[in-house]
Amino acid sequence: MSPRSAFRRIALAAVAGVGVAVWVFPVIWGLITSFKTERDVLAYPPVWLFKPTLDNYREVIFGASSILPNLWSSFVVATSATILTMLIAIPAAYALGRLRYPAKRASGFYVLVTQMLPPIGLIIPYYLVLQKLGALDTYSGLSIIYLTFALPFAIWLMVSYFEDVPFEMEEAALLDRAGRLRALWYVILPQVRGGIAVTTIFVFLNAWNEFMFAVVLGGNRVRTVTVAMFNFISVEQTQWAKLAAGAMLAMLPVILIGFFAQRHIVKGLTVGAVKGGGRR
Amino acid sequence: MSAAARPARTLAAQERRFALGLLAPALVVLALTTTAPLVYLAWNSLQRLDLAMPWLSGFAGAGNYAKMGSDPRFWNSLLLTGIYTASTVVLQVVIGLSLALLVLQIPRGQGVLRIAAILPIVLAPVVVGMFWRTLVLAPDFGLVDLVTRTLGLGSHNWLGDPQLALISVIAIHTWQWTPFAFLVLLASLATLPPDVYEAARLDRASAWQRFVHITLPLIRPAVVMVVILRMMTALSAFAAIFAATGGGPGSATEILNLYAYRTSFAELNLGYGAALAMVLLAITLAISFVMFRMRRARA
Repeated sequence: MSPRSAFRRIALAAVAGVGVAVWVFPVIWGLITSFKTERDVLAYPPVWLFKPTLDNYREVIFGASSILPNLWSSFVVATSATILTMLIAIPAAYALGRLRYPAKRASGFYVLVTQMLPPIGLIIPYYLVLQKLGALDTYSGLSIIYLTFALPFAIWLMVSYFEDVPFEMEEAALLDRAGRLRALWYVILPQVRGGIAVTTIFVFLNAWNEFMFAVVLGGNRVRTVTVAMFNFISVEQTQWAKLAAGAMLAMLPVILIGFFAQRHIVKGLTVGAVKGGGRR
Repeated sequence: MSAAARPARTLAAQERRFALGLLAPALVVLALTTTAPLVYLAWNSLQRLDLAMPWLSGFAGAGNYAKMGSDPRFWNSLLLTGIYTASTVVLQVVIGLSLALLVLQIPRGQGVLRIAAILPIVLAPVVVGMFWRTLVLAPDFGLVDLVTRTLGLGSHNWLGDPQLALISVIAIHTWQWTPFAFLVLLASLATLPPDVYEAARLDRASAWQRFVHITLPLIRPAVVMVVILRMMTALSAFAAIFAATGGGPGSATEILNLYAYRTSFAELNLGYGAALAMVLLAITLAISFVMFRMRRARA
């Protein structure tokens, strides 16, 4: 290796390293802060060596402003929205991806357009309707509005997995007079198990992170963890260590999910446009 | 012949029925949860509906839309939406693409970068906005101020000064979503055939020429796709700005989406808020229509 290419490699690695640091460091900094006392947080210059404390975590878990009820709210809303979404999305995606029927292009396009709607356009009518029905601050109200962004996304992501299954599989099953529903259940669905898992993870992640719907349509009873974090900052502006500890707990599930599902993330993030703009 | 055609036809009919049966629940739910609310939104945008002054409620015709013409806050929010969307999308694509091109040259360690890139993407935008407001951008104690103070550039009120605040929210959005552009473009670059580059190198094409004449045309569909998706996200950006500045100071970071939200749920003027949301909806759909046409024309 010539000295020039060795230098080039080092320079490249350095630039890439800066990129990583910029993305990771704020989160690491938050993690470090969550183990500091409030006094250490506001030390200048910042202290790198400090006596770590678990007080912040104790406070946000067992204290007066515990976020456990909020974690529970997020869990209930995200889980019910995810189950509902998957139950409706999987059959629809199978039809869109593998069956022939009239107006197929139009129905696919319709699903795609619903994915592009700005949430602010939906939340005003939802607020008015749920208010009239007395369904503000309920789990069902919030879970249903989550379908508006989860369902189109899940349908398109599942279509891409269904399309990867060879068509011979169904034909063989149908020749055996298996019936279409049985062919779908016993032959095709086992082939897309991985896709179902990835889609479920993504829908859950998006529902967990949602904020605008939750802050408007939630309330004292249904307060998700994103809303709780927001309230935290408006109420206790200066308690950064506690805030950091709460944020770490709130984000732990999605960070773990992201870490384990990282290979599939690109596919999940790009799905709508890949399909909708191209062949279909 | 006819014996074979009849089962084929009944099979097709059976397939059609099956498909519609599977699809019906999704289409019904989407119609009820997205299309019907939008019709109701359009209807409300024609109403005077002010929860702070309910006795004035009634049909307003195009009144809410006419009001926008002389509403400086609306024009300001429209301008900010343009600045915010254009700058964040350009920054994400330029930084993401440059980084992807660099990383491709590194033989090892791409996996580490990929994991690092996923971290900002999975975080809730409201937590990102909150983190930046406190740990990163707070005067005196934030990370950025620590750096500028060390470099002798002094302390700044990154979210309190109108111009700096706009730059700050653009930086926050760029920080969170550049990894997306990076990951998608990296995946797209990795699929390019190496032999065209060999040929170009033999023809003594410079690195820049190879990039402009070979790489860019090949990855154009991926770039257009990233631009479309990033524009959609930027147009309805909310939680990070809301947590970092709340649209302020004043209305310095109040993009149209935030203006519609504040009008509806802080000032409780839902009629005017609905009209503002209709404008954002029209802009979003118009832009995606144009972008998809571009994509199809060139792909």
